[in-house]
Amino acid sequence: MSDLVTLKIDGIEVSVPAGTMIIEAANKIGREIPVFCYHSKLSTVGVCRVCLVKVGTPGFDRATRQPILDVAGNPVIRFFPKPMPACSTPVSAGMEVITESKESLADRQAILEFLLTSHPLDCPVCDKGGECPLQDLTYAHGRGESRFEYQRKHTSPKKIPLGDLIVLDTERCIICTRCIRFQDEIAGDHVLAIENRGRDAKVVSYTEPKFDSKYSGNTTDICPVGALTSRDFRFKDMNKPGVRIWELTNVPSISNYCNMGSNLVLGTHVGEIRRVMPRQNELVNEIWLTNKTRFGHHFHSSSHRLTAPLIKENGKFKQATWEDALSLIATKFHEAGEHIGGIAGPHLSNEDLYLFQKLFREVLNSNNIDHRICLNSAIDDDLAYEIGVGIGTDIGQLAENSAIFLLGSDLDEEASMLYLRVRGAVRRGCHLINANGRYTKLDTVANTKLRYNYGSAVHLVLGMTATILDEGLEDKNFVYARLEGIDKLKTKLQAYTPEKVADITGIDADIIRQAARDFAKAENGIILYGAEAGNDTALHASIRNLALITGHVGKKDNGVTAILPHCNSRGAADLGVIPHRLPGYHPVADEIGMSAKEMLQPNHGLQAMYIVAADIVGEVVTCKSAIETTDFVVVQDLFMTETAKLADVVLPAKAIAERDGSYTNLERRVQVYDPAILSPTPTCWADWHIITAIAGRLGAEWTHASADGVMQEITEQVSLYKHMSFENLTKPISLERKRQHYIYSGMSFTADVREGVQWATRAENQASFFELKFIEPENDMPQSDIILVAPRVAYDGGMLISQAEILANLIQQPKATLSPSVAQRLSLSKGDTVQLTSSVGSVALPIAIDGKLPDNVVLTPRNLAGSVAEQLLDGHNIFIGVKIVH
Amino acid sequence: MTLVKEFVDGTVEIGRAMGITLKYFLRKPVTNQFPDEPVEVYPRFRGRHVLNRYENGLEKCIGCSLCAAACPTGCIFVEAGENDEENPVSLGERYAVRYEINMLRCIFCGYCEEACPTNAITLEHDFALSEYDRWDAIYTKERLLKPHAPDHIKVRSDEVFVERYGWGNTKDS
Repeated sequence: MSDLVTLKIDGIEVSVPAGTMIIEAANKIGREIPVFCYHSKLSTVGVCRVCLVKVGTPGFDRATRQPILDVAGNPVIRFFPKPMPACSTPVSAGMEVITESKESLADRQAILEFLLTSHPLDCPVCDKGGECPLQDLTYAHGRGESRFEYQRKHTSPKKIPLGDLIVLDTERCIICTRCIRFQDEIAGDHVLAIENRGRDAKVVSYTEPKFDSKYSGNTTDICPVGALTSRDFRFKDMNKPGVRIWELTNVPSISNYCNMGSNLVLGTHVGEIRRVMPRQNELVNEIWLTNKTRFGHHFHSSSHRLTAPLIKENGKFKQATWEDALSLIATKFHEAGEHIGGIAGPHLSNEDLYLFQKLFREVLNSNNIDHRICLNSAIDDDLAYEIGVGIGTDIGQLAENSAIFLLGSDLDEEASMLYLRVRGAVRRGCHLINANGRYTKLDTVANTKLRYNYGSAVHLVLGMTATILDEGLEDKNFVYARLEGIDKLKTKLQAYTPEKVADITGIDADIIRQAARDFAKAENGIILYGAEAGNDTALHASIRNLALITGHVGKKDNGVTAILPHCNSRGAADLGVIPHRLPGYHPVADEIGMSAKEMLQPNHGLQAMYIVAADIVGEVVTCKSAIETTDFVVVQDLFMTETAKLADVVLPAKAIAERDGSYTNLERRVQVYDPAILSPTPTCWADWHIITAIAGRLGAEWTHASADGVMQEITEQVSLYKHMSFENLTKPISLERKRQHYIYSGMSFTADVREGVQWATRAENQASFFELKFIEPENDMPQSDIILVAPRVAYDGGMLISQAEILANLIQQPKATLSPSVAQRLSLSKGDTVQLTSSVGSVALPIAIDGKLPDNVVLTPRNLAGSVAEQLLDGHNIFIGVKIVH
Repeated sequence: MTLVKEFVDGTVEIGRAMGITLKYFLRKPVTNQFPDEPVEVYPRFRGRHVLNRYENGLEKCIGCSLCAAACPTGCIFVEAGENDEENPVSLGERYAVRYEINMLRCIFCGYCEEACPTNAITLEHDFALSEYDRWDAIYTKERLLKPHAPDHIKVRSDEVFVERYGWGNTKDS
């Protein structure tokens, strides 16, 4: 820790680390200094000059180098002749600061008056009106009346669209550069800049499409004036009239798109969601949201929502009462007996998922349940239970002594919020090892870039493990106290030294060695792994070994996290919606059930199927026949999806904002969301309610009357979740922590700060013991010159996001992205169509060209409309060898 | 004696009473023959709201909702929309798509008028606001925008007001 410096601010003594700026020291003792350009999450530029304060330092005698003392023996303070900007003046010992001196008050007034010479006074029509720092500061420090003639104000163009989502009003802009710094420093998308100087200075974006960033919505939050506003909330753009911010009712909620479980606030007005704002949670999303979360809420008010139960009669859906629908379901489920299967989508809340598995295991006596719809949601991840990241892990605070090993995931697309946080950690000095088969956005900041051949990620990990054991870099205390089988592992790993794996991985042995050293020597280490690394037990075992021998488990800021695809994939695994495990990772006592993959084979032998919140056909079109051949299918969803069209009974569910519940994020943090609006009709029921009703018809005596009550049962039944009662989850954080970490600047609302509760992994129990396992990797590298890689992308072809008209242009269309040299070799140009053929299938796709792709890779995202990539994949990995024909 | 005195006193009282009757009989009556004759109100009388336009026909209302925010009874509802630049409804970017006042709830306090940054809403003088249907008491934007000067209201000039109450006369207060 750096040395503490003591200074006096307005006569109050405060001690802060050296290098702190005056403004942060002042905030610490509750002195608020007005700011425009300064933001605690961004770097300091000191351009707005509104934070000027009077600063003095103790005088020194030049001859003796001793402080000059007055008669009373106190040091004489020599004040600087001019006021100093508090945001960019570092503190020094003995400094005295007067925040509200006569001079600085006059300066503030002058700065505000000067800003207002080119700022339109259109607060009554400005979206920022009511939560605008400029408005507030003008009230607090302004002159009250202008000496400037309104007609002679400087005017600039208004309403310049920056892309589809953001509108720029150059007249309101005060050139504080917060938006530019956010894009450069936090998001890493260098898409904004200031053009020209003086009066002509303005924010511009020259990318195509303009302001091309997944995080652009955040700039509207941090903009201290109404210069950047979101098109979603502005007036009538999205077929909704405008409202003012003070008319909104703010309800705390959780993002249903984000696997980190971003905290947010739903601003509702007359029963409709009008805007989504971030809710600060320093452990999850800080103060940021992705655009997908911010603008993707429109499905709630979609006119395509299901509003009543439907029963198919002679191939046509007919509206029915709940009574009829439930009776029919009960009869058919009863008839099906053990030939029944259930698939629950990982978007359901923990309560729904728990009751879903309870319905199958206790009422229907079947283990045929799953949440992993083929490859789309599949990472078979058992590591979280044992060595998941420690409680209190805060990737946003990792700094110099830490390392992150990111293996096979493009975080920007797959876990956007984690991308921001990992990027932040690297900025603070954390060592990032980014291993992937292709360029990903984090390569721009990664300290070590490892480019392995697809299918050889396991060899890379083994090579690193071998290096660590060879050089004696393992955590010897941990190995001695809690590990078993290290000698056996050492012998096995002799076949996987860096030199031996260099060939298969395509990475130089020295680079592997260096990466291994960096990871092992770091005090804190986190491994993040995604589906591009592969999905087999050998890989998971090798990751487990690497984390264990380095001792990076079971404590804060250490552990392993799989990049799971959906907002509650973790919760679905925790609560046993998986054929071989009961809630809390207990193995099933009786026969293991069928997995989703087996259930969706054409000859599955099931008579009835219960599909909740999963558009199976929409995601994997090849599953259609499996559903068609099932006698009786119940689909419970928000929309008439492709899967629902094949069902015999369709049940209307409530969307997330219409009910309460909880999600578990990929760091195992359970967070609760509140109901904000009413469902379109009272005949939409919450999922747990529907499951309870079905169980009731089948003779079970469940008494659940609220999600809260279901969670109460989970806390009693599942030991991992014993602290997860709603009472605990909604508890606001301590005042001390709130003071230290929370800012809430520029937002008119204060919502509860809840940080959620994490459950403890096995490693966190200091008495737990681990056996190192070694599984020989199978050589399943794609044998082909060209490898198709099918990762997930953020803007997918899902049903929910497609309801947001504002995001329509951002949703990707299926295409095959090639490197320029491959395109040249096959004499292809942009817009041509190619035929991709793998061992499984063949599809035709238009091509795009990306100079950053390696020459042996074709990229086709797999979660897009039509699920073309799924038709080429073998259901094992998300990469496969293909042939390209023009 | 007492009988005579009582008779005389009674006659005098009757005479006095009749005198008062006679006096008021000859005076101009104060009763207003509403609605046949107009009612006089003072210029600052706060009656029915109107929404104003500029001389060029554009609406003054910019849909800022400040009136709704100021309203103590919550009887004003505003929904704003974005102006079509070719064919604007009001000056600037924003205009009111919907503007409704629930006259059953309104207490005619005039806060909306004070909050309005463009003088778009003003409280005029009509007080005869009864309806046969409660729904008709919700005044829509179209109704509020229509020029409204009913025959049954007559506004006194400011001079009468000042004369009577000595407004502006510092000696008086």
